Amino acid sequence: MSNVVLEKVSRNFGDFAAVSGVDLRVSEGEFVTLLGPSGCGKTTTLRMVAGLEQNTGGRISIGDRVVSDADRGLFVPAEKRALGMVFQSYAIWPHMTVFDNVAYPLRVRRTPRSELQGRVLTALRLVEMESYAERPAPALSGGQQQRVAIARALVFEPALLLLDEPLSNLDARLRAQMGAEFRSLQKRLGITSLYVTHDQEEAMALSDRVVVMQAGRVLQIGAPEEIYQRPQSAAVASFFGSPNLLPATVVGCTRVDEREFEVSVRGAWTGVCRAGAALAAGSDVFVMVRPENVSLAVGESGLDNGRAVLSGRVVQSSFHGARRAVTIEVNGNVVRAEIPALAPIAEHVSVTFDERAAWALAP
Amino acid sequence: MTVSADDRMVSVGRTRSAPGGFARPGLLQRLSAGRVAGLALIIVVLAFLTVYPLSMLLYGSLHSTPPGMAGTFNLNGYQDVLTRQSLLTLLNTVGISLAKTIPSLVLAVSLAWILARTDTPFRGALEVLITLPFFIPPILTAMAWGMLGNPQVGLLNQLYQWVTGSSSAPINVYSYGGVVWHMMQYSVPFLFLLIVDAFRAMDPSLEEAARMCGASRWRTFWTVTLQLMLPALTGAAILSFIRGIENFESPLFFGSPAGIRVITTDIYDAINQSSPPRYQYATSVGFVIMVLLFLIVLLQWKLLKGRSFTTISGKGYSPGIIKLGAWRWVTFAFCILFFVVTVVLPVGQLLIGSFFKFFGFYEWDMLTLEHYQAVFGSSEFWRGFGNTMILGLVGATLTMLLGGAVAYVSVRTRWRGRLLIDAMAWLPWMMPGIVLGVGFLWGFALLPHAIPIYGTIWALLLAYISLGTPLSVRVMSSAYSQLSYDLEECSRVHGASWLQTMWRIMIALAWPSFAVGWVLVFFGIMRELSASVLLYSVGSEVLSVVLLKLWANGNAEQVSVVGLIMMVLVVLFRWVQLGVIKKRISTL
Repeated sequence: MSNVVLEKVSRNFGDFAAVSGVDLRVSEGEFVTLLGPSGCGKTTTLRMVAGLEQNTGGRISIGDRVVSDADRGLFVPAEKRALGMVFQSYAIWPHMTVFDNVAYPLRVRRTPRSELQGRVLTALRLVEMESYAERPAPALSGGQQQRVAIARALVFEPALLLLDEPLSNLDARLRAQMGAEFRSLQKRLGITSLYVTHDQEEAMALSDRVVVMQAGRVLQIGAPEEIYQRPQSAAVASFFGSPNLLPATVVGCTRVDEREFEVSVRGAWTGVCRAGAALAAGSDVFVMVRPENVSLAVGESGLDNGRAVLSGRVVQSSFHGARRAVTIEVNGNVVRAEIPALAPIAEHVSVTFDERAAWALAP
Repeated sequence: MTVSADDRMVSVGRTRSAPGGFARPGLLQRLSAGRVAGLALIIVVLAFLTVYPLSMLLYGSLHSTPPGMAGTFNLNGYQDVLTRQSLLTLLNTVGISLAKTIPSLVLAVSLAWILARTDTPFRGALEVLITLPFFIPPILTAMAWGMLGNPQVGLLNQLYQWVTGSSSAPINVYSYGGVVWHMMQYSVPFLFLLIVDAFRAMDPSLEEAARMCGASRWRTFWTVTLQLMLPALTGAAILSFIRGIENFESPLFFGSPAGIRVITTDIYDAINQSSPPRYQYATSVGFVIMVLLFLIVLLQWKLLKGRSFTTISGKGYSPGIIKLGAWRWVTFAFCILFFVVTVVLPVGQLLIGSFFKFFGFYEWDMLTLEHYQAVFGSSEFWRGFGNTMILGLVGATLTMLLGGAVAYVSVRTRWRGRLLIDAMAWLPWMMPGIVLGVGFLWGFALLPHAIPIYGTIWALLLAYISLGTPLSVRVMSSAYSQLSYDLEECSRVHGASWLQTMWRIMIALAWPSFAVGWVLVFFGIMRELSASVLLYSVGSEVLSVVLLKLWANGNAEQVSVVGLIMMVLVVLFRWVQLGVIKKRISTL
């Protein structure tokens, strides 16, 4: 359908830079999520693509058309960009029926009456709402409004679909269900989608690629798994869950392949781990270990066939149903672990994790 | 008639606040004796203030002679109402009100859109300026426009003749156009105040969604923005229409001299200008107009039932501000023009008029301060000033206390009498001031001689309280319904008695609303003319009556002086309201 290209896109409000220098390429049919805490500039970025906000720097193109170029003073307004958009509040017009809501983009485009009926019903069928066509919009639940909003955004077959936190007003169960439904619809139609959320799990579950943003800048762009397992910075690592970051010093570093290095470190944890960049010997690093990769054994023990072992004292332990969250103090550092709820536990434990689960990050 | 405009504004604003349908038992519940006594007191007071004049109106319309005299019951009054002349007057009234409501609505929507949704510079200041005419007593602008647009010596015509050299006078305010024009100066800011929050509170994504669907700004405005506003606009327009029917000043000043008759001036003439006074006709017309207004209110209620769209989502946001580019100076000029025409021109005329020896003859050697000396040396002015101040201070305080009590009972208790109380307090809402004045006129005259209210300042006080009660109840109800019950209960749990709770929590938290309501009621009392003109007598004149008498004697110069003094009071009170109180209350 369409490529979206953002080149050095910025947005300043007075002296405040809401978005600065964002570069992003979205391929045809791809589902890309902008993820970050509130105020990180993700919604502003989306609105600049939509044309609801004007970028003060950089260039945005959709397909082979440049829609906004700050240097040339070019700006195509929202209504001329022909993009579909789903809003956080759904923005279903309460003075119209479901049918009229969905038919609106077609009526604006002067679609012949004969064609209109069929296309609206097709769009409603996609979201399984065709039996609600004559309902007044205020009589819909949140999830139903969501579906209508998606139908309205898809009905004129836009080149690109923009979604601004569309699931955040739904309750947790509906959120998961709607997310999955939408993802399968998106795959079926092959529609290029740009999605904004602050929910990391939602971002990972739905996206082909995730753009992690903070303070108006892109921290990292990558597939969900890559961002989760091989973050480029401590900030990205901390954004997903609460990983353990153990301070250490680099002893040696060798290249493994194009993307990874093998690093041996000494410090709060001593051993060999992986890293995404060359790290100079003697430099300080953090070794990231996710709590779910930490396992505990009762009592103290030494090295255990290739696995690094630390001894520590359990400070806190809380039961979460399927899992148990345990906080252990190890030589003045705090290590968090998530272990099966039925695993044995004592005051003194040894802490182990697979070296493949350890990832070194420059601070 | 005057105060009643404001309460409608509040009642519209109130529909948005959460309904108090789940009222928990009030704290007085257990004090059964005190509760009965309190309830009875409120009912008696309200009955005297609202039901009594209403029933007197009915009695008067069916009785052949003036109050207190022997006569027979008949339907002659209603027969007179059914004459061709009276029906024409009625049609005239409706026509004039429609003619002013529609352009007022267009202007008010434009102003609301400009100030709520565009990047026009100095919007905050502009909003204060363009709403100012709402607070200026209509009698002031009426007199000022009488001088500005006088076909013989009006300043505007003089200016026109001086510029063009012609001898024709294009502007004559003593005409249909003049009546409509003067009403619009008041109804535009009135409508603006009613609808601006609806513009401000709209979820911007509703409009953005339309633009993402490919609709231009203009199409978005017509198919989404305006459609969503429609319930609010209809409601406001109906209120403005009712207000136009009740209007007294505009037809009195600009209609009567030109032979244009409307219902309110008809009632006034029947009592004040006929010999003998046609009381039965006046009361019958009064009763008919009340029924008419009641029907309109019912219609409105039916029309708007279930048609109010919730366009406000929970998320806090600022509405989409439209960048106008260079056009923002055009919108700025438009707002300034409105302010100039509605405030600067009339006030400027008063200023000029007060310094020249004769109104209409503006030569340098005619400059004088003698009108100021005359006014400040006049005992009548000081008496009127004193009466207005006393009535304003005492009346506003009593009205708000009564309104506060009624609102507390109806919002925060589940007492069985509360619906009755609420309904009684609502009655004056559809009584034009002049109709209520007639009702009280009969009512006071029929009281036993031991209660000499008729012809005293008490008569005015009671009428003002009655007129102001619906407003005070609305203001206090919305204040109470926003207060969580937990606050009240928490105080009780921590050992405070009911009185302490009332004093420390309820009053402490509701006082900003009390103050806002107080100022509004005070404004209402200051500009009240139609009931005052029927109920005053020598010694109990208020400022608006003093003005009217001076005007009737052709003393336009002293009118200007008194008008300016009232204008200073208006600005002073408005400043206090905005500066001190408004910070906490945004709806007014």
